[in-house]
Amino acid sequence: MSMVRGKLLTRGAEGVLLVLLCFFIFGPITGLVLWSIALKWYWPHVLPQETGLDYWLQALGLQKSLAIGAVSITDSFNTSLVIALIVVAVVMVIATPVGYVLAKRNIPLKGVVLLLFLMPQAFPQQPVLVNLLLMFSKMGLAGTVHGVLLVHLMVSLVFAVWISSAAFKSVPPELEEAARSIGASGLRTFLRITLPLAAPGLLASAVFVFLTSLDEFTGTFFIGLPFVTTLPMLLYSSSGYNLQFASVIAIVLLVPSILFMVIIERFLKAEYIGGMGI
Amino acid sequence: MPGLRLVSLSKRFGKTVAIQNVNLEIHDGEILTLLGPSGCGKTTTLRCIAGLLTPDEGDIYLGKERVTNWPPERRGIGLVFQNYALWPHMTVYQNLAFGLELRKTPKEEIKRRIGEALAMMRLSGFEGRYPRQLSGGQQQRVALARALVIEPSVLLLDEPLSNLDAKLREEMRFEIRELQKSLGITTVYVTHDQAEALVLSDRVAILHEGKIMQVGTPKDIYDRPNNRFVAGFIGLTSFIEGAIAGFDEVKGCLVVKTRDDLEIRVRASGLKRGQKVILALRPEHIRLCKDDEMARSEGLNLLEGTVMRAAYLGDIIDYRIKVGDWVLRAHTGTDRVLNPGEKVLIAFSPEQATLIPKSASPQ
Repeated sequence: MSMVRGKLLTRGAEGVLLVLLCFFIFGPITGLVLWSIALKWYWPHVLPQETGLDYWLQALGLQKSLAIGAVSITDSFNTSLVIALIVVAVVMVIATPVGYVLAKRNIPLKGVVLLLFLMPQAFPQQPVLVNLLLMFSKMGLAGTVHGVLLVHLMVSLVFAVWISSAAFKSVPPELEEAARSIGASGLRTFLRITLPLAAPGLLASAVFVFLTSLDEFTGTFFIGLPFVTTLPMLLYSSSGYNLQFASVIAIVLLVPSILFMVIIERFLKAEYIGGMGI
Repeated sequence: MPGLRLVSLSKRFGKTVAIQNVNLEIHDGEILTLLGPSGCGKTTTLRCIAGLLTPDEGDIYLGKERVTNWPPERRGIGLVFQNYALWPHMTVYQNLAFGLELRKTPKEEIKRRIGEALAMMRLSGFEGRYPRQLSGGQQQRVALARALVIEPSVLLLDEPLSNLDAKLREEMRFEIRELQKSLGITTVYVTHDQAEALVLSDRVAILHEGKIMQVGTPKDIYDRPNNRFVAGFIGLTSFIEGAIAGFDEVKGCLVVKTRDDLEIRVRASGLKRGQKVILALRPEHIRLCKDDEMARSEGLNLLEGTVMRAAYLGDIIDYRIKVGDWVLRAHTGTDRVLNPGEKVLIAFSPEQATLIPKSASPQ
């Protein structure tokens, strides 16, 4: 009898937790969605009095707008996406070999290398970025997409290197030795054994870089503005004037993250069941 | 198939000496076990043979070929790891096919050979499984099949059974031995389990602190350990220290005298008068008797002792018996139990004691 009651209690507690969790996750998003479609929403009404997709259409450039703070997000969206994709490509091209070497090879000054990658993160961002702005101005990189790319690289490289190094470290050396002894060269072992087994970690690292770049604010603010306007910049400038536009941008920023999370969750799960936990 | 020869192999890791001047010849078609406690250098030796480590000194010959500096993939050696090291992202078939594909074996032949290898391991029908879907014993057999399917010149096994449960382990000992004999493949087997070594080896090499202590057939090693470490490591052994005091012409034995004036006769040769020796005695060779008549007439050594401890183990009784300054272990049948404190006569034949010169005896 008491066991049944205990079970019921546990169930109940789980239910309450689940509801709370849903509330914390979906509450803010619901707010965003409501604001993005609210044409008229005055106190004390709980829901908008008048709703429509006007702001969405205006933001996407499908409808002309005369509202204060009205912006078209398509250009910024494209800028953000292109920057993020390039950053991912460049970072992974650097982080994969560096991570491999740091994880699998005994190299001198390993600590120093890791420290170098950490350096830009070891100081408060603003002074670093102001200095960077001065340097970039002299080099003609301030206010250019190239400058912004470099800043995003700097911000995400350290994490990417660390995550990929951990991914390679998690591949048991015996699996590679087994391949070597069975006749595979070092390169083939890397391509057929090490890389596929480290892939989930590398993918996680790539997603992380993508999201970091898409979200990056401070660096873009100093280096990019006023000529390079990424989505977070646009969100910042419109949030003061027009909550509807800000909500639209916020939702648009969320979409890639959610998409990527779904993809990575699928992929990671398959791989982990595949025996990553050896 | 070629044999394998290690010539004064040495390997250090930093300041630690892993193996030192290891000389060993593994004959064609033989299964030799490297046996020793953990950290004795047996795995280091194996990894040097596989090419996963480069020795600091010495050479490795595979048949007539000097392979010391060859990369592992060129040696054509099959290697089985303690944790199997199956590739988790590949099916059983893919695991086995990998080595054959690297050798550019035609697809049809790959299929045929994998079929044969799996049949040999009683794993037919498991081609499409992933390693995680197999039991430990099955994974073990896949690992063995993967190493054998490339038809290696030498098979290396690194504690392959230590992750299996006791019953399966015992079965696999015989299976590996039979497999090795039927294929006639030169095999080096690394283990710290002496029973395993005794059961499945043609010869055993005992390693201790990076050095080879003794190489011989299991019977040699057990009956005639040539130093104290081997005697103590293989089986239970009691030790008595003494010096050669003379020669007993009548019985054709050496007489060993201990510091507490025990006189023990041992059939042995090649030792000089006055030389310090260690006498090694197996517990199963010691008899306990109350009455000395019979023992004396058989020409056995007879010593007086006191039972210190008796442990009932079901099939035997394990005694600790104090004899002079020494403590001896004796195993007897369970029909009569002696209690601690009881006086007892112990008897053993001069043939069954082993003399080890003290100089040749690392602890």
